[in-house]
Amino acid sequence: MSQRAGWFAWLIFMIGALYFVLPLFGTFVFSLQKVRGSIGFSAYTAAFANPDFLRTFLFSSLIAVLTIVASLALIVPTAFWVNLRMPRWRGVVEFITLLPFVIPAIVLVFGVIRTYGKPLTLFGIPLLPPLLNTELSTNIVLVAAYTVLSLPYMYRATDNGLRAMDVRTLAEAAQSLGASWVTVLMRVILPNLRTALLSGALLTFAIVIGEYTIAAFLARPMFGPYLQLQVRNRAYEAAALTIVAFALTWLAMGIIDLITRQRSTPLTGGR
Amino acid sequence: MTFLALTNVRKVFPNATTPAVDDFNLSVQRGEFVSFLGPSGCGKTTTLRMVAGFEHPTAGAITIDGRDITGVRPNQRNIGMVFQSYALFPNMTVADNIGFGLKVKGASKAEIKQRVAEMLSLIKLEQLGGRYPYQLSGGQQQRVALARALAIRPQLLLLDEPLSALDAKIRVSLRNEIRAIQRQLGITTIYVTHDQEEALSLSDRVVVMNAGVIEQIGAPFEVYNFPKTAFVASFVGTLNIFEARVSDPAAGVLQLSAATILVSPSHLSGRRAGEAVKVAMRPEMIHVKSTGAADENRLTGVVENVAFLGAVARIHLRVGEMTVLVDEFNNPHLAVPAVGSALTCYFAREGCIVLA
Ligand SMILES: Nc1ncnc2c1ncn2[C@@H]1O[C@H](COP(=O)(O)OP(=O)(O)O)[C@@H](O)[C@H]1O
Ligand SMILES: [Mg+2]
Repeated sequence: MSQRAGWFAWLIFMIGALYFVLPLFGTFVFSLQKVRGSIGFSAYTAAFANPDFLRTFLFSSLIAVLTIVASLALIVPTAFWVNLRMPRWRGVVEFITLLPFVIPAIVLVFGVIRTYGKPLTLFGIPLLPPLLNTELSTNIVLVAAYTVLSLPYMYRATDNGLRAMDVRTLAEAAQSLGASWVTVLMRVILPNLRTALLSGALLTFAIVIGEYTIAAFLARPMFGPYLQLQVRNRAYEAAALTIVAFALTWLAMGIIDLITRQRSTPLTGGR
Repeated sequence: MTFLALTNVRKVFPNATTPAVDDFNLSVQRGEFVSFLGPSGCGKTTTLRMVAGFEHPTAGAITIDGRDITGVRPNQRNIGMVFQSYALFPNMTVADNIGFGLKVKGASKAEIKQRVAEMLSLIKLEQLGGRYPYQLSGGQQQRVALARALAIRPQLLLLDEPLSALDAKIRVSLRNEIRAIQRQLGITTIYVTHDQEEALSLSDRVVVMNAGVIEQIGAPFEVYNFPKTAFVASFVGTLNIFEARVSDPAAGVLQLSAATILVSPSHLSGRRAGEAVKVAMRPEMIHVKSTGAADENRLTGVVENVAFLGAVARIHLRVGEMTVLVDEFNNPHLAVPAVGSALTCYFAREGCIVLA
């Protein structure tokens, strides 16, 4: 790479980094100024003191983890199969996974409420009771809705990971050694997708933690609506919460990374 | 005794107009080393993948040791496979790669460990069991892939252009190593390549393929010296091919554009005078010294170019409209003719092949 190109790359990188870091930094500085004329962490103390904070954050985290599990279970086999056996369907699958970008969350949630708020029937045959009647079933609907929201990120990440390796040949090599499809997926494909899946999971986690519309309309005690309430009433605490949520999200992902690292072969470092 | 048999095997891919493989018949003996040789796209890989079970034949049957395996899934066939791209599992060490097949089959830890050690010593990489594939050279990776395929004690070993991604020196040493290991284990092997030198130097028998069909099956010596079709003649080795007209079939006389030559009359049996044929000769059958035989053919022309190929010097001799390639064995006393000089070359009538 020429000197000039190197400089240019750095410049773009710095602009990108500033674009990303500046708002975060601004929020952080703002969150320190709760007490007029002095810098301090009183906004944080106040925010932590509110029991709703931990309650909603934990609940959101639980929903996020369930969403990640559901999304992985749905996307990984699908992307694997599309890559391996049905490359002609790639366009269709990609289009479907991108739908959450063009359908606003508000439309999605109204669709969900209309569909699951009353008994679900098909040609007059009852299929499901109203799902939004109990807390448990509402939570299931919530996870399902978030799984839909996560599709673009999860599919992209998985697909990128799959394309980075020669899935077909690796699968065939494993098969010729006696591996079934399940073994191929669990022992060969998944371990090599670790990094890609982790990034998909990270994005999903972040989306679920910050999501407002669906959580509010399904009236679940999620972190998004709680944060929104704080923004309206207590600006400094809200800024502090944003920073904390951000840090916790990264921490959560670090833990996931650590766990998955240990579960696959211990020395897996290089990629 | 036939170990692997392909009978009337045919493969037509969906939406394809012509079959990728057609009318494929082959019997491989136990312990035999057979190569599929042919240009890119002639159906070698497809045939191999049908044996491995990754493609299903449109028609025909494949049997191993008398058992029809056409419907058996690839992971039930116990066939070792080596790919051009190595296809090592990047998340596993060399040892884990080699042990993978045994682990999948539920072998005990001790058993796996012992077999892996055995395999590592077979490929002479005892020290590298703990490395990851990305820490190995291409040649080392392919040896690991070979060990991985052999670790499961397969009944058949399939290699699809295993050396194509390697550089020339390693290609030669590794192919000899593969052959030595194959002999040592006595494993029945099919080796796919588009490199005729590889096929000729390694194989007990070569299957020459073109456009989805078998052109000829034979020992390297047979395929090289007695090609059955014009395709085999031109694909295997280098060949001079000239248009000719039959002058006197009984005496074996052919008229070329710039000369009259003699061939074995038996090559012209059934031909009529005036008929157009193609005549071919290997460059190494043509010499710049006369043997003095009475019926020796001779062609005189102008030296166009001399290419030095290592073991031989290849002289391009312009004779009228034809360019004749003449190979002279290299030696320190070789008198290399000057470009532009006149030269006469000689060849025996027995060295000529008449092609349909
Ligand atoms: N999966 C496939 N679908 C359609 N056509 C294929 C497929 N695989 C191979 N072919 C076609 O079959 C022919 C033989 O291919 P292949 O067996 O790979 O040739 P080779 O290994 O001798 O280079 C080629 O024309 C190729 O385009
Ligand atoms: Mg091929």
